[in-house]
Amino acid sequence: MPGAAVMILLLLMVFVLGCTKQESASTSHTGTSQEEKSVTVSWVRDIGPMNPHVYYPSQLFTQSMVYEPLIKYQEGGKLEPYLAESWAISKDGKSYTFKLRPNVKFSDGTPFDSAIVKKNFDAVIKHKKTHSWLGVAKVIEKTEAVDKYTFKMTLTKPYYPALQDLASVRPFRFLGEAGFPDGGDTAVGVKKPVGTGPWLLSDYKQDQYAEFTKNPHYWGESPKIDKIKVKIIPDGETRVLAFEKGELDLIFGEGAISLDAFKQLKSSGKYETNLSEPVGTRSLVFNALNDKLADHRVRLALQHGFNKKAMVEGITAGLEDKADNILSKNYPYANLDVEPIDYHVEKANNYLEEAGWKLEAGKTVREKNGQPLELELIYDKSDPIQKAMAETVQAEWGMIGVKLNITGLELMLQAKRLREGQFEVYFWFNYGVPYDPHSLINAVQEKGTGISEAHSRLPIKQELDQQIHAALSSTDEAERQKLYTSILKTLHEQSVIMPVSYIKQTMVYQKHLKNVTIPASRWDHPFTGIEISK
Amino acid sequence: MGAYIGKRMLAIIPMILFATLVSFVLIQMSPVDPAEAYLSAAHIHPTEELLAEKRHEFGLDQPLPVQYFQMVMKIAQLDFGTSYLTNKPVWQEVALRLSATLQLAISSICLTITVSVLLGFLSAIYKNSWIDVVSRILSYFGASIPQFWLGYLFIFFFSVRLDWLPVDGNGTWKHLVLPTLTLSFALIAIYTRLLRENVLEQLQESYVLYARTRGIKEKVIMLKHVMRIAISPVITGLGMNLGKLLTGTIIVEQVFSWPGIGRYFVEAIFNRDIPVIQCYVFIAACLFLVCNLIVDVVQLYLDPRISLKGRTDH
Repeated sequence: MPGAAVMILLLLMVFVLGCTKQESASTSHTGTSQEEKSVTVSWVRDIGPMNPHVYYPSQLFTQSMVYEPLIKYQEGGKLEPYLAESWAISKDGKSYTFKLRPNVKFSDGTPFDSAIVKKNFDAVIKHKKTHSWLGVAKVIEKTEAVDKYTFKMTLTKPYYPALQDLASVRPFRFLGEAGFPDGGDTAVGVKKPVGTGPWLLSDYKQDQYAEFTKNPHYWGESPKIDKIKVKIIPDGETRVLAFEKGELDLIFGEGAISLDAFKQLKSSGKYETNLSEPVGTRSLVFNALNDKLADHRVRLALQHGFNKKAMVEGITAGLEDKADNILSKNYPYANLDVEPIDYHVEKANNYLEEAGWKLEAGKTVREKNGQPLELELIYDKSDPIQKAMAETVQAEWGMIGVKLNITGLELMLQAKRLREGQFEVYFWFNYGVPYDPHSLINAVQEKGTGISEAHSRLPIKQELDQQIHAALSSTDEAERQKLYTSILKTLHEQSVIMPVSYIKQTMVYQKHLKNVTIPASRWDHPFTGIEISK
Repeated sequence: MGAYIGKRMLAIIPMILFATLVSFVLIQMSPVDPAEAYLSAAHIHPTEELLAEKRHEFGLDQPLPVQYFQMVMKIAQLDFGTSYLTNKPVWQEVALRLSATLQLAISSICLTITVSVLLGFLSAIYKNSWIDVVSRILSYFGASIPQFWLGYLFIFFFSVRLDWLPVDGNGTWKHLVLPTLTLSFALIAIYTRLLRENVLEQLQESYVLYARTRGIKEKVIMLKHVMRIAISPVITGLGMNLGKLLTGTIIVEQVFSWPGIGRYFVEAIFNRDIPVIQCYVFIAACLFLVCNLIVDVVQLYLDPRISLKGRTDH
């Protein structure tokens, strides 16, 4: 049968050609000298187009390796000069003048000055709507290159987290002139990733790997390693096996490996591990639009009705901490003492009785006016921790006469239900630093977040919104702290958001790596200062 | 034969149209809006304003019949548009990954055919011998072990413990060994047993007895007559599996970080990247239909009793 033979021959040719092509590509990057200090890490997906002004599929940590901000977010929310040496804010809080660091160059040797800063800002705010989730993008009115090293940004209204927003990984970072496409609109793509950061992308094969080498023109302290290779390994277990084999030097990133795998690698004693300060809070949100949950006593009963500490320790193997506050104390403005809503079954039962939810003899679910106390908790079905926690909560609330139905949903569907307010109980996470605490209170205020809707029936909602508005536009630090204290205390007391645990970032690395630290910002790369010892 | 193949090729067109229509309807039935999925993936809070802008950008604000018509017209010109997520031409993205998947699929099929035919025949001819026992044990494990677990076991022994092969990635023949073994194991299990049963069945047929009576050599009876008929159902099965292998072997690609189309398309489904999904449906439909056609043609060649009308002539 000549037809079949031809088909088989064609397929074999494709196969052979494919192999040959791949082989030549892979040998092109293996010829490295023995002295070269190289660190290999893994990432779950391809690094994307490395455009500083757009989002997915560009990956935050690689964007942060190549592109830098005007201001850097440091531990405890401290903002430090970076590409801007200093800045001044006008009394009305609407004008920000940045004095740029002189002698900074892009990786192609071109200078970094106010003209390129303006060009980048303008490229971003050309697509204001796309970036409107970030408060500062909504309020930028005008940008000016005052002189070679002075850049001025004028806002339509005062917005205090402007600097925090500018410190985030995207979109307000700087692409060199050579990277801009014709027409200057970076939303359509970039010609090449030219940044001022310590690293430059030197080799890349989509879906397989990316290699970064030192930027020869870097203005700051040059990295102590020569190369970082990012291997794309989507599967967590494979990542662990590759690490054990020694093909990887470092594994980092939230959810990069399971908590069990982290614990096992740590207990082996063969590797070094790091655990960060809390970077986010895992919470349950009660939707007060629901009649049952609109009652404050029911929300309190639900909080008192389960052993959070035992659950968090049991399920996360102690790698997350029980959360009493909605935001952990290491966030700016969030270092406040609140009375924890502790595990107290008797209190839980009393609150429910008070609220009129009675447990009839012989029944397991409380009722009021013939209606059972039945709720639905939706969770991300691909997250084993959420699933295990949902099952635990279901069992615990069952003991106080609350029937909890748990529904695992695809992440996209879960997010949609939140946004539309179509939920009763929901697993929720805050953005973390540098976006919090302002993104948390903004979510409470701004319609369409789901969090705002969940709070909308609270009697104090209007007052709360006014306080949030005042906090976000306040130019007085003391006044802002006072407002934050009040807002966070109110949120805690109202118990619509029930903090469950503080999420931490994990890192595991081979012993020859030294000086490995977890960055202050949740989304930054962890390669600053890494050394290799023999 | 040429006319037969021509007719079958023409029949592919309405089938592909039907497949694109079904996938279009299914995507519309999904409760997740592609614009919203994009924003969620990008960690952007989806405001109504932003959603409207993205829907307009993706052409999702047009009436459904218009969207479908435009999509079909584009596909007819082999233009699959640009990915919502990467903003790159879909075909460019697919082509990049297709060669990796082809490598894996072809190497798996080759290994499966070689091992299954050899083991299936030998275990039938030497029924109840040690080779039959080995093939039975292999088949038992092959059919029972989940593919992802087998992949991890292979990595653990051959990469981590023995350090013979790389854990992940592609590029050299060494990278190809473990994913190929993992993919082939279950197929070998099925086809070895299938072939063994078919051979044993054929050996009971009267034509074998007559051939032996006529003094034809056992080797000739086996290779020229028994094998030719016994292998027929195996080819049908392999043809169907070739389609499956070519449209992506997501588990193996995931475990071995193989940059094929399976991973790419699954991610597209989660992110509701419609142009990519439509491209996948088109490729999958074409591959399955073409593989079916190839299988039928090979069957015709192997067993002339099968008429072109699809019935057995006696």
